[in-house]
Amino acid sequence: MASIISATNLTLAYEKGKHIIINDVTFNIEQGEFVFITGPSGSGKSTLLKSLYGQIKPREGMLNVGGFDMSRIKKKQLLQLRRNIGIVFQDYKLINEWTVEKNVVLPLIITGYSLDVQKVQAEKLLSHVKLSDQANKYPLELSGGEQQRVGVARALSKNPFLILADEPTGNLDEFSSGVVWDLLENACDQLNATVVVVTHKIPTIFNIPYRHFIIENGGVHEVH
Amino acid sequence: MKSIKDHLMFILPLMAMLIGIEFILVFNRITSSYENKLKNEYAILVVSQKNLTTPYLRSIDDNIDSVEAMNREDIAKEVTSGMQDAALAAIMKDLPYFYRVHLTSYMSLEGLKKISAELKKVNGILNVEIFGENYHSKHTIFRLVKMLLNIFIVMLFIVSIMLVIKQMQVWQLAHKDRMKIMEIFGAPMMLRSGILFKVAIIDAIIATILNMVIFLFIKSKWSQNSDIDFVKNNQDMLFNVSDFFILFVTAIVIVAISVFVVAINTREVPEG
Ligand SMILES: Nc1ncnc2c1ncn2[C@@H]1O[C@H](COP(=O)(O)OP(=O)(O)OP(=O)(O)O)[C@@H](O)[C@H]1O
Ligand SMILES: [Mg+2]
Repeated sequence: MASIISATNLTLAYEKGKHIIINDVTFNIEQGEFVFITGPSGSGKSTLLKSLYGQIKPREGMLNVGGFDMSRIKKKQLLQLRRNIGIVFQDYKLINEWTVEKNVVLPLIITGYSLDVQKVQAEKLLSHVKLSDQANKYPLELSGGEQQRVGVARALSKNPFLILADEPTGNLDEFSSGVVWDLLENACDQLNATVVVVTHKIPTIFNIPYRHFIIENGGVHEVH
Repeated sequence: MKSIKDHLMFILPLMAMLIGIEFILVFNRITSSYENKLKNEYAILVVSQKNLTTPYLRSIDDNIDSVEAMNREDIAKEVTSGMQDAALAAIMKDLPYFYRVHLTSYMSLEGLKKISAELKKVNGILNVEIFGENYHSKHTIFRLVKMLLNIFIVMLFIVSIMLVIKQMQVWQLAHKDRMKIMEIFGAPMMLRSGILFKVAIIDAIIATILNMVIFLFIKSKWSQNSDIDFVKNNQDMLFNVSDFFILFVTAIVIVAISVFVVAINTREVPEG
C-alpha cells in the first residue's frame, strides 16, 4: 500500500507562538486507512490537520501528503492538492452569502463542474446528511448542528482521496452523529478514501477497522 | 437597498475619476486649440534691409515657424498717397522689407525676448517688434487658467483615489471570508476574485455610461446657451466618441487594480 501521509521527525510551531505544538513526531498513514485522533484541548490536533492541507508549514522534519513535500510545495501545487482533499472544520467555515446548496458543491464549482452535475450532487449529499429541505437556506439560518452537516456534505462532494475532519460531530446529537460516521465509513470503505478524524469521543459502534492516534505534550502516540 | 449603496460607493469615486480624465481630455483639446488660435494670430514684426527667407530665420531660432513678407508697395502707397509716381519710386527704393514672423508655439515673454535679441543681431535687420505688453498679459492669464484647472483635476483625483481605497477596504471586509474559504478548497486567485471582479466591472460600465451622459448633456445644452463664443464655436471638443473608449479602458484598469489589490491582501499566508 502507498503512503498518503508520511511524517518524519515533524515539528510544528506558530510563527508568533514561542512554544512548539507538535514536537519531532514520526508516523505513516496508508491509502484507505481510517484514523482517529484524540487528545486534550489545545494539544495541537487542529494544528496537525492544518499541516496536512498546508496552512502551516513544518518548522522541522519532513511531511509528505499525497506525494507532495509540504515544506517545499509551490502555491499552485498546494491549490491542486487541496482540490482533492475534503476538509471539515471545527468552526464549519461556510460561505454565509451562499445558499446551503451552493456551499455543498463549492469543490465542484472550483473544479469547474457543470451546473447540472452540481445540482445532482448537491441533492444527493443533502439527502445523505438529512438536509434536503434546507437546500435554499443560508448558513446563518441553520442551527450549529445543521451547519456542521453542511460542512460534512461539502467535504464529501467531490469524492476526495483524503478527508480531514476536525470534530465533525462536535455539535451533533447521537442520531446525526451516526449519520456522519456512516458517511465517513462509507467514503473510506467504498471509495477507498483515506480519512483522518479529530474527535474527543470515538464512536462506540464502528464497523470498519481503524487506527487511533493520541496527541499529548507535543507527541503523537498510536494506541494499539 | 444595501447593495445599491455598495455599488454607489464604488461608482461615485470611479465617476469622479472619469470626470477628471474627461476634463483633462476636453481641457487639453480646448487649450491646445485656443493656444493655436493665439499663436496663429500672433506675429513678430521684423523690419529688414535684406530679403529674409523662412529657412534662413529658422536656422537662427528653431522656434520660428514661417516668415510672411508684407507687401511693400501697399505700405509705400499708403505713405505716398496723393504724391507723384516718382515719389513712390523713390520711396520704394529706400523702403526696407517688412515681415511677419510666425512662431511654432505659444511662447512666454522671455522666449520672445530671446528670439527678438537673436533677430536684432542679424546683419541687415533694422527693428524687431514683439508687442510684449499685450502678449504678456494674455499669456499670463492663459497660463493661470491652465494651472488652476490642473490643480482642480489633481485634487479631484486625490479625493477619488481615497474613496476608491475606502471602497477596497469595504470589499476586503465583505469578501475576505469567502475568498479565504475558497482558497482552502484550492480555488486559484482568478476564481476567488472573479465574483468581485464581475461586480466591479458592472460598476465600471455604469460609471462610464453615466459620465458619457453627463458630458453629452453638457455638450448639447450648456454649450448652446453659453456666452463664451469660443466654447460655442468649438462644441465638438467637449465630447468625442473616442473619449468613451478612453474612459471605459481607464475604468476597467482602475477596477482591475482594485480587485487585484483586494485579492493580494486576502491571500493566505502560511502560519508557522
Ligand atoms: N493561529 C495560531 N497562532 C498561534 N498559536 C495558535 C494558533 N492556533 C492555535 N494556536 C495554539 O496552538 C495550540 C494548539 O491549538 P489547536 O487548535 O491545534 O488545539 P486542538 O488540539 O485542536 O484543541 P481543541 O480540541 O480545543 O480544538 C494551542 O495552544 C493554541 O493556543
Ligand atoms: Mg481543534
